[in-house]
Order: sequence, then structure tokens, then C-alpha cells
Amino acid sequence: MRAMQRHFSFRLFSIALVLLLAVVAMTLGGANAAAQSGEEPAAPLTSLHPVFALRDATGANVLESGQPVSTMQTCGACHDTEFIAGHSFHADLGLADFTAPGTTSSGRAWDTSNGLFGKWDPLTYRYLTPDGDERLDLSTAEWLMLLGPRVAGGGPATTARAGEPLTALAPDAANPETSLLHADGAVTAWDWNESGVAEMDCFLCHLDQPDHAARTAALAAGDFGWASTATLAATGIVTKTADGWQWNAAAFDAGGELLPQNVRVQDPTNANCAQCHGIVHTETDTPLTFAGCDLDNPQTATTGQVISPQKISESGANIAGKSDLARAWDVHAERQLACTDCHYAVNNPAHAQEADDTRPSHLLYDPRRLDIAEYLERPDHNFARGQSAQYTVAPELKDTMRRCESCHSTESHADWLPYVDRHMSVLSCESCHIPRLYAPAVEQVDWTVLEPDGSGVVTCRGVDDPQSGVDALIEGYTPVLLMRENIDGEQRLAPYNLISSWYWVYDDADGNARPVRQVDLEAAWFDGESYAPELLALFDADDDGELSATELRLDSDAKTAAVAERLAGLGLANPRIEAEVQSYSVNHNVARGEWATRDCQSCHHDEAATPLQLAGYMPGGVVPAMVGGANIAASGTIQPGADGTLFFQPEPEQAGVYIFGRDRVSWVDWLGLATFLGVLALVTVHAGLRLYVAWRRPRHEPETQRVYMYDAYERFWHWLQTIAIILLLFTGLVIHRPDMLGMFNFRNIVWVHNMLALILLLNAALALFYHLTSGAIQQFIPRPYGFFDRAILQTKFYLYSIFKGEPHPMEKTRSQKLNPLQQVTYFGLLNVLLPLQIVTGALMWGVQQWPQVAAMAGGLPVLAPLHTLVAWLFASFIVAHVYLTTTGPTVLTDIKAMVTGWEDVEVHAYPGAQTEQA
Amino acid sequence: MSEMMKRYLWVFGLLGVVLVIAIPAVIFWPRSASTATDPWDGLPAHVEHTSHANIVEGPFATGQEVTQACLECHEDAADEVTHTVHWTWQSDPVEIPGHDNVVEGIGKINLINNFCIATPSNERTCMTCHTGYGWEEKPYDFEKTDNVDCLACHADTALYAKGEYGNPAEGVDLLAAAQSVRNPGRDNCGKCHFDGGGGNNVKHGDLDESLLFPSENLDVHMGRYDFLCTDCHQTEDHNISGRMLSVSVDDENQVACTDCHEADLHDDERINAHTATVACQTCHIPSIALKNPTKVTWDWSTAGQDKPEDHYTFLKIKGDFLYEKDYQPEYLWYDGGVSYRYLTGDQLAADGPTLLNPPSGSIDEAGARIFPFKVHRAEQPYDVVNNYLLPPTTSGEGGFWTTFDWPSALELGAEANGLEFSGEYGFAETWMYWPTTHMVQPKENALQCEDCHADNGLMDWEALGYPGDPIEWGGRNVQQ
Repeated sequence: MRAMQRHFSFRLFSIALVLLLAVVAMTLGGANAAAQSGEEPAAPLTSLHPVFALRDATGANVLESGQPVSTMQTCGACHDTEFIAGHSFHADLGLADFTAPGTTSSGRAWDTSNGLFGKWDPLTYRYLTPDGDERLDLSTAEWLMLLGPRVAGGGPATTARAGEPLTALAPDAANPETSLLHADGAVTAWDWNESGVAEMDCFLCHLDQPDHAARTAALAAGDFGWASTATLAATGIVTKTADGWQWNAAAFDAGGELLPQNVRVQDPTNANCAQCHGIVHTETDTPLTFAGCDLDNPQTATTGQVISPQKISESGANIAGKSDLARAWDVHAERQLACTDCHYAVNNPAHAQEADDTRPSHLLYDPRRLDIAEYLERPDHNFARGQSAQYTVAPELKDTMRRCESCHSTESHADWLPYVDRHMSVLSCESCHIPRLYAPAVEQVDWTVLEPDGSGVVTCRGVDDPQSGVDALIEGYTPVLLMRENIDGEQRLAPYNLISSWYWVYDDADGNARPVRQVDLEAAWFDGESYAPELLALFDADDDGELSATELRLDSDAKTAAVAERLAGLGLANPRIEAEVQSYSVNHNVARGEWATRDCQSCHHDEAATPLQLAGYMPGGVVPAMVGGANIAASGTIQPGADGTLFFQPEPEQAGVYIFGRDRVSWVDWLGLATFLGVLALVTVHAGLRLYVAWRRPRHEPETQRVYMYDAYERFWHWLQTIAIILLLFTGLVIHRPDMLGMFNFRNIVWVHNMLALILLLNAALALFYHLTSGAIQQFIPRPYGFFDRAILQTKFYLYSIFKGEPHPMEKTRSQKLNPLQQVTYFGLLNVLLPLQIVTGALMWGVQQWPQVAAMAGGLPVLAPLHTLVAWLFASFIVAHVYLTTTGPTVLTDIKAMVTGWEDVEVHAYPGAQTEQA
Repeated sequence: MSEMMKRYLWVFGLLGVVLVIAIPAVIFWPRSASTATDPWDGLPAHVEHTSHANIVEGPFATGQEVTQACLECHEDAADEVTHTVHWTWQSDPVEIPGHDNVVEGIGKINLINNFCIATPSNERTCMTCHTGYGWEEKPYDFEKTDNVDCLACHADTALYAKGEYGNPAEGVDLLAAAQSVRNPGRDNCGKCHFDGGGGNNVKHGDLDESLLFPSENLDVHMGRYDFLCTDCHQTEDHNISGRMLSVSVDDENQVACTDCHEADLHDDERINAHTATVACQTCHIPSIALKNPTKVTWDWSTAGQDKPEDHYTFLKIKGDFLYEKDYQPEYLWYDGGVSYRYLTGDQLAADGPTLLNPPSGSIDEAGARIFPFKVHRAEQPYDVVNNYLLPPTTSGEGGFWTTFDWPSALELGAEANGLEFSGEYGFAETWMYWPTTHMVQPKENALQCEDCHADNGLMDWEALGYPGDPIEWGGRNVQQ
């Protein structure tokens, strides 16, 4: 009872304290973010987290010591913070695989790791200097100051490259880990014991209102030890005064633990992730606005991805055609998925996947797994990731995430998309379901020149004027499809943004290539605050004393040489321009079916796979190359465009993709067309000569006799095959060149083509059966005896005798309908062309059912051109075939015969012929 | 076989060949699985109405004479009207949830609401909206077909208006009105249904004068497609379909979205999965009172005070009230009926507000769906001794609006409603539920996932009976 009373009075005391705090906070106004939201009554407690004390690095309560909070000590009281910091790429950032320059997969001569700590990025430009380099650019300390907004702490912010604590290093201006480069080029030593280190900042991701700005400011100022404390600035627990950070005793209870309402610990929300990664907008009542291409939002700036459930049409951004875009920026955000639903902690028992290869095959499910208490003590802070182009980052975690197809079935496509499996085997889901990005993204970065503020020139795509801020018209951009190589070796086309970069490189004293330091660039470009007069004179075409966007370019050898000379004057050996293209994978901003690409001709069209502009100009005329280490196969080329621009032309055929309606082998078409036109020309000349001869010397009508030449089945078989082949040729042409015959529905035409092929195949099989059983097959087999003589005779007839009105050299009878030339033609047609066409066609149809069979035959790139070539030959055959039917006693005799069965054959005829009278 | 036949035999052959190709093509042609019906099939045909300008001849001295003229041709019309609730203002005998006996019939004629409370003894103003003339006679003769007011629904509203006791307003040119007759437009229905409760949009919240000239973002049916009320409230023999929870206890003769639309018409399977649990209205009517505010609270206890008046906050005759624009509905399970209906003379709730017409339905009831309601909360007079609501006489002689004297107005009202008045009165809190079903929004404006499923979404999941947001905790488990 007494305990309850004490508890009650304690609660009263707490409430009084809260009220007091609220009053103080409101009076203080802006000093405290709690006051900003202070209009509401005390927010309901959202956290299940128990109360705890804030402890400094020695484990003492910060209220007593006044020291910065240590997350390792504070959170480490219950959670295994050492384990967490040791199992987190967000902390490590590449420190673990830090290596000698030039040995990473990127192919850059100066990269030292695969992560933010050591992988040079032309967007941020500054280079983390390895030990032993001639010139210091970024020391570890300055790296943390500069990239602090994207560094969660721990890893390289607490640990030296060799593994010892940073605080164990003695200040030394010669060591890039314990020094600092100043703007004037001077280098001083850095004392980590004085600055403190930035421990992994649990608060940054686990508080509902972390103060990212205050933390960034602390890091930028070099107050690394106070960074985690600054993250609490918006909570009212700590306040920044002129003397530094002051802990507010009122935020704690008498025992020195935080009051429950100040424990705002939670699972990370999208907003937590957004602090470092990119634009996330969850307040759907407020229209989303953004200034394009802001490198503070790296994911958005590099790809145009915006994570928001808000409809694009409801956002405040000035997007072209916005009112028609009544769909969410990201369907997964719309459907209430959080970042952590896919990018979960890899040992989170709610999500963790059981690797198939670690499970005995007799088990379907292994129930032995972490329970929630074990997980909460040691949550693995490596988060599941896909296999995107930022491929080198956290390589051991590649493909730990559930991808689209792990959650979604492709069956829903079946009611409209033919060849579903085929499409899925070539296209990633993102290819169609991220049709366009509606935020601007970086296109080109030019560090060969400097803006007056000392930065490189950044150009964005998808926006008409990146300089004009929120009122610029955003058109968005269509990402380019590159062939992504997945972990399992499969390849899929997937959407990417490509960013091209130009920059100066020099050889240092040791002969190592390094990007020219920003401080050296500034020395080369500027004398004091303004451009060097000689460069200004050279670049300032309109003599207005300023360099406009078009003037500030290395567009002539003289300008390049002038800058190179000034760089050389700084002692930089062999200054030269290098250029590269980085690929940024686009995997978010997924749209659901009705908004996805679903028009066949988006791909099945002559002009599909439109090129992506890489750059509006090429500094120094240097053509960039793709940076290594990305998981993309060659599937396009970098090509100069008009006016000095540069394009990436996707060429999926390079990766073995053959897209009907887009791809074709031009020599096949030219050869086929030439054959077709050649035959057409030949018969035209022949017909012309026959007409001329007939006009000069009227031909005497040969005596004829009616013979029942073709029975009903033969005629039915013939005409069915005729119609099928003609329609197959036509539908095949539509599939081959949908750009020329765009009025037809591609999908339906493919279906008709397949159905006709089946009819043709059945008809051919039945006809074969008929000819075999009736013995009529013999007519099609050339008799060796006298064959050549008769063939020569027949040839002579077509070449000479026909013009003289001479009778046919061969008797046409019911049992011997074909002359030797026909025999040899049909022999080839029926034994070579038709089977070839059927087999290639069936295999192409079979890429859906049995893709491996088609693959064994060389896949579509072999089958399709072959099919096309044979189709041309069939078309040519039809021309000759139809023409030769006119060479009978009268022009229409043979055609009539195939219609009625009765043919008027010349009377030196076969005595046993069945006559009409008979 | 004749020579002629033989000659054209090939045509049959060709036909055979073509059929061999065409028949499989037709049989196996890939079809989309969708067999959606066309919602336009649900609409009645709009027939051009014959102009009566040259048909009707006056002169007319009274409304009844106009009706007689109508009946010369439309012989059954008035008889039909007298069999509808628009005339009787009461239902057939019905079982009332929460009551043991079957009552003779309920309706405007005998129910208490929490706006102007009750019609008996207030006939002068209330019956302005009755489809008949002359309710000053008491008891009213429901058999007298001459009293049917054809003009209320069929005359041009610019030429006709109703006044006291349902009679034509003073100064109306009855001949001109009679010559203007036509099919009822939104204005005819709106005259009463937009202005119920004594002003524009006071009662419903989703029916107001903005619907006379609506934009498509106000109501997609009336705005985008220019629907008339009668397109949905289809009418046979003058019996207009539609049912309102404020005066009914069931959903017989109700109009439903699914009369025209299929429930699973969404492209998105995930949304279709909602339709068994969530009414169409819930998503497609995110808020009501989009143009004109609607009354959400009414405190009769301050009526009569001499305070500065304001149309939207206080009137001496009515007391204090609050209006809200862009009203956010409250969401409740609803199966089309009520779990209780307060009848005149019922005791007040033992604790908490008295719910006059709480909708029935619960998470455990398969037929119930989550439905949006406007809830009107009022303080209205009751008899402290007898513990029941008292309907005051408001307008007219001795009415509160004239005398500002509660005891006498309540005494008059009690008598007209067959109640005893003890003389001691107070003010009791009552809630009244108004289902929200107009101001339907196009899909672009419908509620989105995050509106309900994000933190602080619109639904109070626990109040609805879920353990938590069903997106994570799972949906209800009932046998459909």
C-alpha cells in the first residue's frame, strides 16, 4: 500500500515536472523543438521502450558528468552495442575492406574500398587520401566533417584503418588519419582525443525526432564526440548554449533516468532513413515540394526516386502533365510498406529468410531460430539489400532481400501479356513497373571547371532549369534499360540512371594517378576570390567579366591547355582529363499495373530503346567509359550526338536479346528483298517478252483436252495452305516491322501468326499423310533417269520455246503433274524451307515453353533472322509460282484447274487420262 | 447438279478453307477475363417530357384545382402518391429494434429527431415539405387525393413554392406553375431534401444546394455525368426508391451503388478485397459538406437567451450550434438497419447520450460493412420527471419561437404528441446518425491506403473491434 502511495506521489511529481517543463519549453520558444509541437497536449506515449539513463563514455550518468552521451554505453546497457556496431555496413562503410589504391573493382586507380569510406565519388569529388600519398586531400577527420550527414557513426568514425581506436593515434600532420587540410593548403595535426569520435548513433535511426541538422553541424565543426548528443537536440533532453551542450535535469526523473515521455525510441521509420538517403514524404496532407537534384538527398539526386504514398498529382512539385498522374510516387509506400519491411535486419525473426542451401533437403522448415529477446539483444544491423548497381557496397549482403518476384506472382500478367515467362526471363519487373521518374536526377558532373563558389558544374536531367529551384518545370525522365547480371548468373534488363563525370587527374610524386585536389583546382582557377585573369580572358567570350554556363567549359584545346598549364604550374605532373559514366540502379517508385509500361510497341518497335543523353557537352573532348564494378553487362554504346552532346544508346542485342519488331539483321532483309525483287523482275521481263511475242505473232491455240487433274482434297489442301502462307507472310511482316504497319495490334497479330502456323503445320502433316498413303508422293521425287535431260529441256522451254509458241515439253498427267524443275523446286521447298520454317518458328514459339531448347539452337538472335530469310524465300517462291501458272495453254488454265480440278491439257497427252466425258 | 451449281462450287470450297482458319480463330481468340457489365445499363432512359404549356388551362384559384386538372389525364397519379411515404410520412407497421411490440408505423409524422425535434403541433412550417396541401385540418385526411401537390415535384421551382401547411406560397401564379410541369429535377427534390432542418445542408451534410450546379469534384454522378436524383432513386408508380436511417429502421427499397456498379470492379484485387468489409461510400465519400457547412451540434438549452445572433453559431430561437465544412464522417459498422430507434415517450439512456437511431451491425456480422456517418449531437428538452424527450411547439401560436417560454411551448408540444408534461424540464444529450451516401468522388479523390492504414489514420480500429490495423493484424473472420 505504501509502495502504491509512493508510486502515486512519484507520478504526481512526474506530471508536475512535465507541466513545468512544458511551461519552460513554451517560454523558451524556438530553443526547443518540443515547444514547436507544444500546442498539442502531451503526445501519447508511442514507445514500448523502457526508461533508461543516458551515460557517457565512462558509464557515468551524463547528468552528473555533463559529458556527451555515449550510445555504446547507454544503449549498451541492454543491447550488445559492440555486436551491433560490428555487424553493420552502415557503420563500417567500407572500412573492413579498405585496401591499397587501385585494387578495387571500380577500376579507378585511386579507389581504396567499395564503400563511402574509400570509394571516390565524382559527385562529392573530395578524395580520401591513403597513407603515404604525396598530397593530403581528405583526412579521416575532414571526411567525417564533410560526409557526416551520411555517416551513421562507428566504423571509420571510431576506428583507424589498421583497426586500433582512432583515439590511440598520436596527432601527426603527416598521417592522413590524424591531420587536416586547410583551405589555404596548410596541413595541421588532428587530435582525436580532443575532438572525440563519432560512435554509431543509435538515436539517428531510432528516435522519432532526431535532430539531423544539429548532428551535422556538430560533425562539420569537428565536435565528433558531441554528435550523438546533438542528435537529441530536438527532444528537450539537452540544450545547446553558448558554453556547449547542457543536459536538462527536468527531462530526467529523480533516479537520473529519462522520464517516460522523453523515451521516444522506436523502430526506424521511413523518415529516419530519409535523413541520409533521399526524399521521403509521408505527410500526405501536405503537398510534397522539392528543389531538384539536391545532393543532400543522394538517392533522389542520383536517380530521381522519391518515396511517398502521395499521388504525384497531389504533390506540390511543378511537374509537366501532373494532373494526369493520379498515382502514388511509390506504390509500396502507398501500400504502407516501410523501408525496413524490405531492408530488414538480416536476423530479424519476423522477416529473416532461411537460406535454402543451409537447410537439409528433408526439412521444409527449420523451427530453430532466434527468439525475439535474443534478437533484441543482438540485432544484426546489416540490412537486407538487393543487387543493384551500387553493387560494390556491402557485397556480402547482395541479394539478401526479398525481391519483387519473392512477394509478387507474375500470373496476373497472364490475361494480357503473351509469353509471360519469356518476358520475365529478359525483363526485370522494374523495367515496366518504373516507367518514368518524376523528380530530376543528375546527368553530368563537370569538375574540369569550377563555378565561382569553387564547386564543379552539375547538370540535371528531367528538369528544364535546375537553377530555378522549386518553380522549375519538371518533366521527369525515362530511365535507360541495361542488362543487369544477377547473383545467380541470370540476366535481366533493368532501369538505370547514368551519370557522366569529367575531372582532372594527375600523377603524383610516386607516379600514382590521383584526382586533382579541389584545393589545387581552386588555386589553378582562382587568383584570390576571382577567376585568374588569364583564364577569364580566355573563357569570357562576351567580355562581360563573368563566365556564363556556356562559357565555363573546356570546349577548345587552347582552354584545356591553359588550365592544364596552370595545374602543371602547381607541381602536378601530367594533368589530364578523365571521364566516366556511373550507373545508378532504379528500384523504387514502382507503379502498379495500369501505370506500368504495357504497350507492346514500347519495346517491339523500330525506335524502341531510345538513347539517354549522357552529357550536353564533352569537356576537353574526352569520351567517358563505364565505371567498373557495376553488375551490368555490355548492352549499349556511348555515342557522340549532335552539337557535341553525348548519348548512351541501349543495344540489348549485344547481350543476346532479340526483340521482335525492333531487332533485325539487315543483310538478311536486304538479301531477302533482293531475291524477292529479283524474281519479280525476272517474271516481269519474261511476261513482257511473252506479251511482245504474242502481239507480234499470235500463237496458235493448241488442241486441248479436259483432264481431271486435282481431286477435291488436293485442291482444299492447296488453297488452305495458300491462304495460311500468305497470311503468315503478312502477319510475320507486321511482327517484323510494326513501325511500318502500326495500325495492327501487335499482340493479336502474334496470336494470329501462331494460330496460322499451327493450321499450316496440321495441313502439311495431313497432306503428307495423304501423299504417302495415296502414293502421290512419288510425283514429288525426281527420277534420276534422264532427269537432267528433261530438266534442260524444260529450262530451254522457258527460255526459248515458250516465246515461239511451242508446246510444253513435258506431259502433264494426273499421275505426273510436275515437271523436273517443279520437282526440284518442291523437293527443296518441302524438304528444306518448310521444315526449316516450321522448326525455327516452333522454337521461337517455344521460348515460352521450353526456352532451353531454343537456347541450344542459338536462341532468338539465330532463329529469328533465319525465319525471316526463309519467309523472304517463300514470298519469292510465291511470285514465281503464281507467274508460272500462267504458262499453260491459256493464262488462267492452271489456276482454273486448281479451282475446279479440271485442266485443259495439251493433247499430245497421256492416253489413259480421265476425261470429262469419262 | 446443274451446270450453274458446278460453276460456282468453288465458292463453297473457298468458304470451307476460310472457315477452317476462321473457326479456330474465333473460338480461341484471346479474351480478357473481365466480364464487367456496363453501369450505364442501370440507368433509366431519359424521355423528353411533353411540354404542358399549351395543355394546361387555368385559371386556378387553389392548389387542389391544379391537382384536379392533372388528374383529368393522369388519373391514377394522385392515388399512387397517397400510397407513398412522401405522402403518408409514415411506414407500414414495423418491428422496432429495442421495442417489444410492432408499432403501427413510423415516420416524420411521429418520430423525434434532434434538430427541430417533431412535426406534430408544428404543422405550419414542417408541412411546407409535405407533398400535399392543407395540413391545417386535423386530423389530416390522407384519402383526399385533391390535396396531393403535383407541383412540388413537377413544377419549375422558379415558378412554384410551398408555404404554410403545405399550401402554395402566397403570390404563386398557379397557372404558370402548372404549365411548367416536367420530370422532377434536382431542384424539385432539393427544395426539401437540401434544406431539411431549416436551412441549406443543415441535416444531411451530403445534400445541399451546391448540387444544383455541381462540379465533378463535388459529386461525380451529378457533376461529371449530370445525373438527376431519379436516376438512382428510381421511381415506379410515384414510389421513389431510397431509405433514410433517420426515419426508417431497415433498408427495404434502398438504393445501392451495386444497383449499377459491380462490387469488384476495381482493377486492383487488393481494393476489391475491401468491398466485403468496407462500403463503397467509405472510400468514395472521403468528406461531406464540401461547399456548404452542415450542422454538427445543436444546444437547445441556450435558446431564448439574448445574445448576439449569428446564422452559423447562435440564434435566439434555436440556441447554440456548430457548423462544419468539409465534415469528416465517423465510421461505424452498418448492416442497413438500426439497433434501436427512439420512439416518442421512450425513456432516455441510463448513462451517456441517448442515441436516437444507432446503426446496427458489428465486426462479427458478415452483412455489416464499415460505413461513413454524419453524427449530429444535440442538447434537447426532456421531461425531468418522466425522463423522456419533449417535443416543443416552436412555430405558430404559443410556440417557443414566439413566446421564448419553454414550459408553455413544451406543454403544447407534449399534448400534440400525446405525452404528459410534468412541468419540470431539462436538456438531454442526444446523438443522431446520418448515413453519408451522396457527394461521391471519382476514383482519383477516393481515400487512399494511407488515409486509414497509416499511423493516425481515419479508422479507430479498436473501436471497430479489430485488435489493431488489419493491414498488420489481419482482417475480421466472419462467414460470408
